[in-house]
Amino acid sequence: MGDPLIVVEELHRHYQVGGELVRALDGVSFEVARGEFVAVVGQSGSGKSTLMNLVGCLDTPTAGVYRLNGSEVAGLSDDALADLRNREIGFVFQTFQLLPRATALQNVELPLIYRGIPRRERRARAEAALHAVGLANRMTHRPNELSGGQRQRVAVARALVGEPSLLLADEPTGNLDSATGEEIIRLFGELHARGHTLMLVTHEPRLAARCPRALRLSDGQLVADGPGLEIAAAGTVRA
Amino acid sequence: MRRMREGLTRLLGEIAEGTRIAVFALLGARLRTSLTTLGIVIGVMTVIAIVAIIQGLDVAFEAQIANLGAHTVHVSKFAWLVRGRGAWWEMRNRKDLGRRELEVVEREASLATAVSPQVRTRAALTAAGHQLEGVLVIGTNDRYLDTNGGAVASGRFLAGTDADLSRPTAVLGFTVAERLFPGIPGETTLHRKVRIGARPYTVIGTMARRGKLLGFDLDNMVLIPYTTFQRDLGARRSLDIAVAAAPGSLEALQDQLVSILRRVRQVPPEKKDDFALNRQEQFLRMYGQLTGALYAVALGVGLITLVVGGIGIMNIMLVSVTERTREIGVRRALGARRRTILLQFLIESSLVAALGGAIGTALGLSVAQLIALLTPLAAAVKPSAVVLGLGFSAGAGLLFGSWPAWRAAQLDPVEALRYE
Repeated sequence: MGDPLIVVEELHRHYQVGGELVRALDGVSFEVARGEFVAVVGQSGSGKSTLMNLVGCLDTPTAGVYRLNGSEVAGLSDDALADLRNREIGFVFQTFQLLPRATALQNVELPLIYRGIPRRERRARAEAALHAVGLANRMTHRPNELSGGQRQRVAVARALVGEPSLLLADEPTGNLDSATGEEIIRLFGELHARGHTLMLVTHEPRLAARCPRALRLSDGQLVADGPGLEIAAAGTVRA
Repeated sequence: MRRMREGLTRLLGEIAEGTRIAVFALLGARLRTSLTTLGIVIGVMTVIAIVAIIQGLDVAFEAQIANLGAHTVHVSKFAWLVRGRGAWWEMRNRKDLGRRELEVVEREASLATAVSPQVRTRAALTAAGHQLEGVLVIGTNDRYLDTNGGAVASGRFLAGTDADLSRPTAVLGFTVAERLFPGIPGETTLHRKVRIGARPYTVIGTMARRGKLLGFDLDNMVLIPYTTFQRDLGARRSLDIAVAAAPGSLEALQDQLVSILRRVRQVPPEKKDDFALNRQEQFLRMYGQLTGALYAVALGVGLITLVVGGIGIMNIMLVSVTERTREIGVRRALGARRRTILLQFLIESSLVAALGGAIGTALGLSVAQLIALLTPLAAAVKPSAVVLGLGFSAGAGLLFGSWPAWRAAQLDPVEALRYE
C-alpha cells in the first residue's frame, strides 16, 4: 500500500463566467488509498463534476496540490496529461461514450492504441478484458447491437484494459434501469474486491450507501467524509 | 530504443485506427461524401482530360513531325508562319522560285545530302469508275524520300528520268490506292491508269501508310514528277525546294543556301532575303507555345476547381468535427494527444479528397478516350499525370482539412465531453 493513490490538498478551481468569479471547487482536501471504493456525492452544482475532471486529469486546478500515484499533476503539459490519463485513469461515463462505428473489441482496444501496444497483444488484452466483464460472446457487436447494460460493461472493460490505477465512474447507472444499474454496481463491487481503486461520482444516495466510503460536496467544499451508509443517510435526512 | 519502438507502434496504430474510422465515417454518410468529393472530381476530371488530349497530341505530333525530316530546310517564297498582313503581302509580291534556283542549289549546295523540288495542288483523281475529290497532288523528283521521309510499299518510286522526261507516272499514297482500287493488293495496281484532272498517268508504285496529323490524312496524296506537274497542272507556281543536310550541319547549310539564293536572285546587299527558309522546328516551337498555353489553362482550371473543392471539404470537415465533438472528448479522455486527433481528421479529409481525385482521374481518362473516339484528336496519358492528379487532390485535402483538424485538436476535453 504505502503512499495514498490520490492526494488532494486545498484544491481550487475557479471559472470566470461573464464578469463573475465562480468557485466551483473552493479548497478541498482529502486522500484516497489504493484499493478504496469511494463515492463522491452532492447536489448538481456542488462541484463534484469539477472534482471528477480534476481527479481524471482532464482539467488542471487553479490552485492547490493534486498528486496521482506519486506524480504532481499541476503544471503538466497537455500531452503529459493525455499520457497520464491513458496510463492511470479508466473512465466510465453516464452515457457510455462508446464509438458507434467500432465493435466492442475495437472500442476496448482504443486506450491500448494510444499507449503504443502492438496489435496482437492489444487484441489479446482487449479480449481478456471483455471476458472479465462477461461479454466474451459479444466482441464483434457494435454498440447499437448491445443492450444498455452490455454497453456499460464494454465501457468498463475499456476502462480496465489498460490496468489503470484508478477507475473513475461518472453516474455510471444514470442511463440504466434499476436492475441493470444494480448489475453494474455489483460489477464495481467485484472489481473492488479484486483490489481495484474506484471513485464513483453520483447524485444518488442509494448508490453512495453501497460504497465503503463517501465524500459529500456542497458549494465547492467538502462537507462530509465517512462510511457511505452514514453519508447517504445524512443526505436523505437533509433532503 | 524501447520508447522509440512504442512511439512508432503507437503512430502506426493511430494511423490504422484513424483510417478505419475515416472510412466508416465516409461510408456512413455516402450522400454527403459524394457531394463533398464532387468539386474535386470535376476539377481532377477536367485537368486529366485536358492533359490526356494534350499528351495525345504531343505523341502524334512529334511522331509525324519527325517523319517530315528533322534535317530538312524548305526554301519557299512564303514563310510557313506569317505574322501580320503586311508581311504576307510582301511575300506575295516576291519573285517565284523556279528551276533556275533549283539547278543552282543542286549544283552548289555542297552541304546538302539531297535536294527535291516540290509543287502542290489539289485535284480530282479517277480510275476504274472511282473518283476521288481533293487529293493532294505533289510534283517532285527522285530525292523526295530523302528530304521528306516515307517509304514505298510496292512498285518503285519516281526515278530521275521520270522528271527529266516529264513522264506521266504516279506513286499513290496509301489512302488513294485503297480508295481507287478497293480490295486489290498493291502489286496489281501497278501499271494501271489513273486520271489526274484530264490526263492519264501510269501507277508505278504505292506508298506505305503514314497516318494522320491533327486530323489530316497524310496518305491522301499522289506523287508525280514535278516537270509533268508543271506541264499538266500549270507552271505558274513557285517551287518549294526541300534540302536535306547531314546531321549537325543544318545551320551551316542554311547559311550556304542564303548566300546561293541571294546571289541567284540578285538581292542587293541592303535588302532583306526575298525567300524564306522553313524548318519543321518552327512548327514544333509554335506547337510548344500553343500546348504550353493549354497546359497553363489546364493548370489554372485545375487550381481553381481544387480550391473550390477544397473549400467544400473544409466546410464538411467543420461539420464533421462539430458532430463528433463528444467522440473527440472520449478519445482525449482515453489518452489521445492533440496530435492524434489532428492526424485522424487529416486522414479523413485527405481520404475524401484522394477518393475524389481517383474518381476524377478515372472519369477524366474516360472522357479523353471518348473524345479520342469521336474526334480526330488522340489521347494518351503518362503515369505522371495520374500521380499528379491524385497527389494534388490529396494535398488539397490535407491543406483544406488542416484548419478543421486543428480546431478539433484544440478542443478542451471537458467541454468536448459535455457537448450535446
